[in-house]
Amino acid sequence: MNEASHQSFPEQPVARRPVSVESRNLGERANYAPDYIAFRNYSFYYGATQVLFDINLEIPERQVTALIGPSGCGKSTLLRNINRMNDLIDGIRHEGDLLIGRTSVYDPGIEVISLRKRIGMVFQKSNPFPKSIYENVIYGLRVAGRRRKSVLDDAVERSLKASALWDEVKDRLHESAFSLSGGQMQRLCIARAIANQPEIILMDEPCSALDPIATGKIEDLIHELKNDYTIVIVTHNMQQAARVSDRTAFFYLGKLVEYDHTDTIFMNPMEPQTEAYVSGRFG
Amino acid sequence: MRSPRKREHAPRAGAPIPERFRVARSTLIFDHAMNIVIKTGGIAVVGAIGGIFIFLLIQILPLFRGASIDYVGSFELPDLGIQAMGIDPWSEIPFFVDPDGTLHFLEIVDPGAPHNRGWFTVAPPLPPDTAFPFARFNQRYGKLLFGTDDGRFTVVNLNFEQSFPEHRQREIVPRLSGNPVIRIGRSDAVFEELDYVDAGRTKLAVALQRLGDGTSELHAVTLRATRPLIGDPVLRRDREFDLTGLFEGVPRFVRLTGDADFVIVGTEEGYLHLLARTRDGFEPRQTHRPFHDAASEAIHSMDFLFGDLSLILTNPEGRNVMYSIYHDEGEGHRILGRTKVFDLLPGGRGADFYSTSVRNKAFLIGSGNQAAIRYATTNATRWESELDFAVEHALLGGRYDRILFVDDANKMHLFELSDRHPETGLRAYFGKIHYEGRAEPEFMWQSTGGGDAFEPKISMVPLIWGTMKGTVFAMIIAVPIALLAALYTSQFIRPEMRGIIKPIMEIMESVPTVVLGFLAALWMAPLISGSVPSALLVIAALPAGILAFAAIVTALPRPARRWIRPGYEFLYFAPFMFGIGWIAWSLGPVLEGILFAIEDPGTGAVVADFRLWWTETTGAAFRQRNAFVVGVFMGFAIIPTIFTIAEDSMSNVPRSFRSAAYALGASRWQTAVTVVLPTAAAGIFSAVMIGFGRAVGETMILLMATGNTPIMTVNPFDGMRTLAANIAVELPEAAQGGTLYRSLFLGAMLLFLMTFLVNTLAELLRQRLRERYKAVE
Repeated sequence: MNEASHQSFPEQPVARRPVSVESRNLGERANYAPDYIAFRNYSFYYGATQVLFDINLEIPERQVTALIGPSGCGKSTLLRNINRMNDLIDGIRHEGDLLIGRTSVYDPGIEVISLRKRIGMVFQKSNPFPKSIYENVIYGLRVAGRRRKSVLDDAVERSLKASALWDEVKDRLHESAFSLSGGQMQRLCIARAIANQPEIILMDEPCSALDPIATGKIEDLIHELKNDYTIVIVTHNMQQAARVSDRTAFFYLGKLVEYDHTDTIFMNPMEPQTEAYVSGRFG
Repeated sequence: MRSPRKREHAPRAGAPIPERFRVARSTLIFDHAMNIVIKTGGIAVVGAIGGIFIFLLIQILPLFRGASIDYVGSFELPDLGIQAMGIDPWSEIPFFVDPDGTLHFLEIVDPGAPHNRGWFTVAPPLPPDTAFPFARFNQRYGKLLFGTDDGRFTVVNLNFEQSFPEHRQREIVPRLSGNPVIRIGRSDAVFEELDYVDAGRTKLAVALQRLGDGTSELHAVTLRATRPLIGDPVLRRDREFDLTGLFEGVPRFVRLTGDADFVIVGTEEGYLHLLARTRDGFEPRQTHRPFHDAASEAIHSMDFLFGDLSLILTNPEGRNVMYSIYHDEGEGHRILGRTKVFDLLPGGRGADFYSTSVRNKAFLIGSGNQAAIRYATTNATRWESELDFAVEHALLGGRYDRILFVDDANKMHLFELSDRHPETGLRAYFGKIHYEGRAEPEFMWQSTGGGDAFEPKISMVPLIWGTMKGTVFAMIIAVPIALLAALYTSQFIRPEMRGIIKPIMEIMESVPTVVLGFLAALWMAPLISGSVPSALLVIAALPAGILAFAAIVTALPRPARRWIRPGYEFLYFAPFMFGIGWIAWSLGPVLEGILFAIEDPGTGAVVADFRLWWTETTGAAFRQRNAFVVGVFMGFAIIPTIFTIAEDSMSNVPRSFRSAAYALGASRWQTAVTVVLPTAAAGIFSAVMIGFGRAVGETMILLMATGNTPIMTVNPFDGMRTLAANIAVELPEAAQGGTLYRSLFLGAMLLFLMTFLVNTLAELLRQRLRERYKAVE
């Protein structure tokens, strides 16, 4: 095990809450430890190609963790493994384990669908469905079988308010989602993700296709959301990582090079590679 | 290096354009040329479609044209005292019978030409020293009927031969042969009406005679042909019957139907009596009052239409109706009934002259200077005119191409009639028509028949029905299978499998439909016909099996389910379904024994046979080649088409939509139904419509496996005939330019319009759907 790739934070001890044995299916929120997304000696392969090497990483609860690194370093793959979105690809294989709380996401008792309901995801390119704004927000609830109109209406309002979109769209909820601007669409996707009331939100370069103003709004939103959700964000934008995240993990060539508080990573990195990357000398 | 030419093109002000910004001349020329080629191609496609449409239109327009008549010339006739008139089958030498029985022929083609024979007479082989004041000519059979004034008659056969004298024009030569003189009725009265019919074995004559005291008598005589050792058969008198007492009233008209089974008598009082010939005599069958609803009930004229089954009647007001002999299901035998009501005759008078065509169901009718040609089948007046002379006698030429009128000044007027398609019209193609011999108005297609008096039935409605029936059955089978297969292939199965399945389906699409039709007709039809319950059970068991499989898998504990990897479910599913199908097929006879057993009325034994049960229970036919078999096979023919296009459009749904749905916790099925299907709706819709278009135009399978019976039923176990198959079936029968030929083009036009309409509607709907579910860029 590489010492550099296994980071812990003795200077900021957080009391672990007890985890009950019964909570096999990702259990109750109260049972989670703060470092409750945990990669243990995790390696991942696409067929014969290894893309992640022996990752040890613990992501704490209700904080924003940024994953940075040059293109192809495996940070997106890592993110997509948390909700097992990579399952759809043929010939994948992993070693080690990936725990949420104390349960492995690969546990045979875990239903992938319910795992995904608890982990929201926002994609690089906003991808609203060709449906109305309203239908987009409640899609997750609909497929979960929720039909009561009051429940759905509440969820729409709550989610759109939480994603700071409510005031802009409240009068045209039944118009096509495609009538929104790019930034609004991305916030709609965030609203859609939080309508399911997930515990974790994964963001895969959510602002890469947006202009600075829209980006600013999303970043403000991330700040708001971290009070309630654990957020993992992949970004290519150093400034964004510095602005929004509490912790930052730097990946290079499928290896976790350094993981620490964001301030430490940007001001005083331990590894020369990290320093070179965050100061813009490569990548 | 810059050539002088380039310098010429350089802008005058500012810096010259550097070489690297110039577009090569060849690129521009090529670009321009390709532009022209592509434009030409596009216009050519549109032009070709338009051209097909115009060609079809040119072919079918003559069907809806009326008759036209051209005056040819007039001929002075000597004062003959015309008893009867007739014409040869080529309409070249009309003849007139004088009171002596002599036939006066006049060659009317090329009058005055050296080869024209002008007037010539032929004396029929009648016994000498006998006067025959009564004469009548039957144009259809070429029989001259002569009657004496003392109760005797004879039949003279008149045939026309073509002879080709050397170096001369073709000549039509009349040949006459006589028969013995036969007694009929009373010897002290003249004939008022005389009719004779030769129906093969039965030969029948009737005579209506008016006696001195003003009463009338009606007698019938049956004749026998005896064949001497040498020479032609000779007619001999067999039995005589007095029909006078079989009806009430004073007889005025009498006619024999062509089969010699009925005598129809019209009386002075306006009644129509039907007398049927029985084994040993005649019995009254029916009495009608054809003009009971008119002010004048009297019958003014009564004549047979070509075929000698239908009577064209008029009353003095010019009302014109038709009565036909037909088989009535309720009565159990043939009856006489009113089948048509024509328009009032022009001039408002009863018909004084009448001539039926011997080619079709047209007749020439009128009085005074009013004449009309009507077509019985379609109730249509083909031509109607006021002539500038008063007609005494009229004759419709043998080929329905010439009309002869003899006026009251003994002058004959010759007209050319051009009416190529008298039996057509919108009513004939799309209306219900009461055909001769049928009990009620129907939509029927039967373009050709055995006899020369056959009435073509050319309704397009049974064919359109058949086309729709075949298409609907095929779509019922094909659409669910093709769309579910497309959904499975695009959304569920592993991509490598998809790479195998798609090309296989595309190969399936290229299987010649004649192979499928062959399989359907010679393998599937007999197989299904014997095992309908098995087939039905399989159809019911497969969806049930799918649900059962799903229930079993869901009931398994999660760890066990992990053995079934997503995308490889078919490895377990396919054998399971084969098993279910096999069990269902094997259980067919058991089901047949329980549900479809009927008691044989003859032996009392209980027989389990779906075919008998179906016929017994529903009263509908069960045929081996039926819509069900066609549906299955035509379904297979269009599944690849629908599958390929639908699969493409489902696969083209942006991956990001599916990722979003999965990330929100949707299952694969939920993703497919809520995201993929709506987004791909436009493509799926056009896939279904293209499949529909293929089914409508599909010919070979339907031709081979439907039995081609143009009947209109929804019965899945009965056949049908489609527009496309009809063209293929009837093609060898269709003479170029004929009515059938053009009717087939009309069928082609209908097919063209149907597919054109469906495709246009589909395209419009598709555009709207695409607009609605357009993926964001």
